[in-house]
Amino acid sequence: MKKRHSLAFLILAFVFAQIAWLGLLGLWIYWYVSNNIIIQQVGDKLSPQIQIDNPNVFIFIGGIILIVLIAVAVFFIFRNLTVQMKLNSLYDNFIANVTHELKSPLSAIQLYTETMFTKTVQHDKQKEFLGMMLKDVNRLKKLINSILEISRLEKKRIAHDFRIYEVDSVFRSILNDSIEQFRLNENFVQYECNGSGKCLLDKDAIQIVFDNLIDNTIKYSVNQPEIFLKISCNKKHYFVEYSDKGIGIAAREYKKIFHKFYRVSNKNTASVKGTGLGLYWVREILKFHKGKVTVFSEGSNKGSCFRIELPVYQEPIKIFSKAFLLHLIGIKQNTDNSDGE
Amino acid sequence: MENDFIVGKKILLVEDEESLGVGLVYNLTEEGYSVEWVKDGKQALDKFTSVNYDMIVLDLMLPYHDGFEIAEKVREKNPQMPILILTARTAAEDKVRGLELGADDYITKPFNLQELLLRIRGMIKRKLWYKTSTELMPVFKFGKNEIDFENLKGKCSSKRFSLTQREAMVIKYLIENKGKVVSRKDLLENVWHISSDIETRTVDIFISRLRKYFEPDPDDPVYIRSIRSAGYLFIDEMND
Repeated sequence: MKKRHSLAFLILAFVFAQIAWLGLLGLWIYWYVSNNIIIQQVGDKLSPQIQIDNPNVFIFIGGIILIVLIAVAVFFIFRNLTVQMKLNSLYDNFIANVTHELKSPLSAIQLYTETMFTKTVQHDKQKEFLGMMLKDVNRLKKLINSILEISRLEKKRIAHDFRIYEVDSVFRSILNDSIEQFRLNENFVQYECNGSGKCLLDKDAIQIVFDNLIDNTIKYSVNQPEIFLKISCNKKHYFVEYSDKGIGIAAREYKKIFHKFYRVSNKNTASVKGTGLGLYWVREILKFHKGKVTVFSEGSNKGSCFRIELPVYQEPIKIFSKAFLLHLIGIKQNTDNSDGE
Repeated sequence: MENDFIVGKKILLVEDEESLGVGLVYNLTEEGYSVEWVKDGKQALDKFTSVNYDMIVLDLMLPYHDGFEIAEKVREKNPQMPILILTARTAAEDKVRGLELGADDYITKPFNLQELLLRIRGMIKRKLWYKTSTELMPVFKFGKNEIDFENLKGKCSSKRFSLTQREAMVIKYLIENKGKVVSRKDLLENVWHISSDIETRTVDIFISRLRKYFEPDPDDPVYIRSIRSAGYLFIDEMND
């Protein structure tokens, strides 16, 4: 309610500011014109010999320019304030979500600790509870890490480990790692790579990209999560299409879902967990790789397709040796053939 | 022996967090309750309509239907059902909204296990106590108001409304102590069965709800008066 009121107040202040400056402009013109006429009339009567050759147009034009500048400044301040208010509202949502994400595992840890402290719990149950606690500790660790990593990424304080890889093998490896991490059913994961080429990337960062996409697929799939990863290349770029059969994304949300703290509010969502940082993180990592990500969906419950575009690694011109060039730009060459070239 | 009255009492636990759900089911079952655990709003409403529970422990941030929606729907169908909201949302407006929609208690995560168990126990106990005590005073009239404690119905002039069990218990306690100043602490100890100094806001929310029902002008109450720094005083001049 408070926010709605402050927005109404802001709009009202803006409208008043516009009326005030228009009024001031009108008064200014009126004052100038009427003074000019008076001076001319009085001047003619008092001393017809005096010629007013150069009425001071500079003050008139200068005044108008200043008033228009004030109006433009007011407009920009208004625009920035509304953007700031939207950001504040998103930030509030983020705080609420992070609070939920922090407090839920913390509550579970406290619950199990108190249970085992106050009750005699059987050995197998104890083991089950300790497993749950460990899971929650990892969840907390992951959340805290993600917040810190994003902050570092934004401040460009991350030392990326860029290496050259074969496109096919690196994405196959990333996908396999995700399958293992999320315990996905391999029968519901398809992989296809058309074409070959080399890419320059930080494998750990790209792993985060796919972990986030898969995490979303799991959250937003009503049935068994299904994933299809398709890779294609041209001379300059390679394209990674990540599709799932989840609940889909409305067209109006295509851009918004990559905004920081933004979360789609959907009543048909099977899970409410999340911070609104995952896809923003995906976009920032890909930006760092000079790539981009877009999304489209065929409609509600028809899944989503994330299309990632990344530049193909171009071999340097062989005036110098490749190793020398790589050394020059500070890129380590991965010697493990299973992971990269 | 002391716990006999809770053995077999049915609790519907609505919690989407796997690890919390498992821990709560274990602890409540150990206490002697019969617990059914559901993980989303849809299942919660389905279960509530098909099974007769003794109380509901409800999370707020849930898939499909949030806890507020569930509390509202449960309250529409069963004004006597004790509802305890157990949530990570600590904002005062969430608490007010939850209690206004008819929840009887609101606990924030992370919570103390013993406190949670005591509150649940208190709610079940009060439900039983309420059932027997209303037999002594099924209906009470004051001014143009009438309260049917048995059916949790209220009447103010021609306006009819339903009361939650907790609302009825608060007004009942005030009526039983007619003419005496009842402190917030008294209400917490005797209606909520908790001794806490930090939960007085909850009492105020319930009092404001009761004033809306029974006072001709809730901002200038004649029946449920506030006594500065002391508490509340129920006055019924017509019946005195």
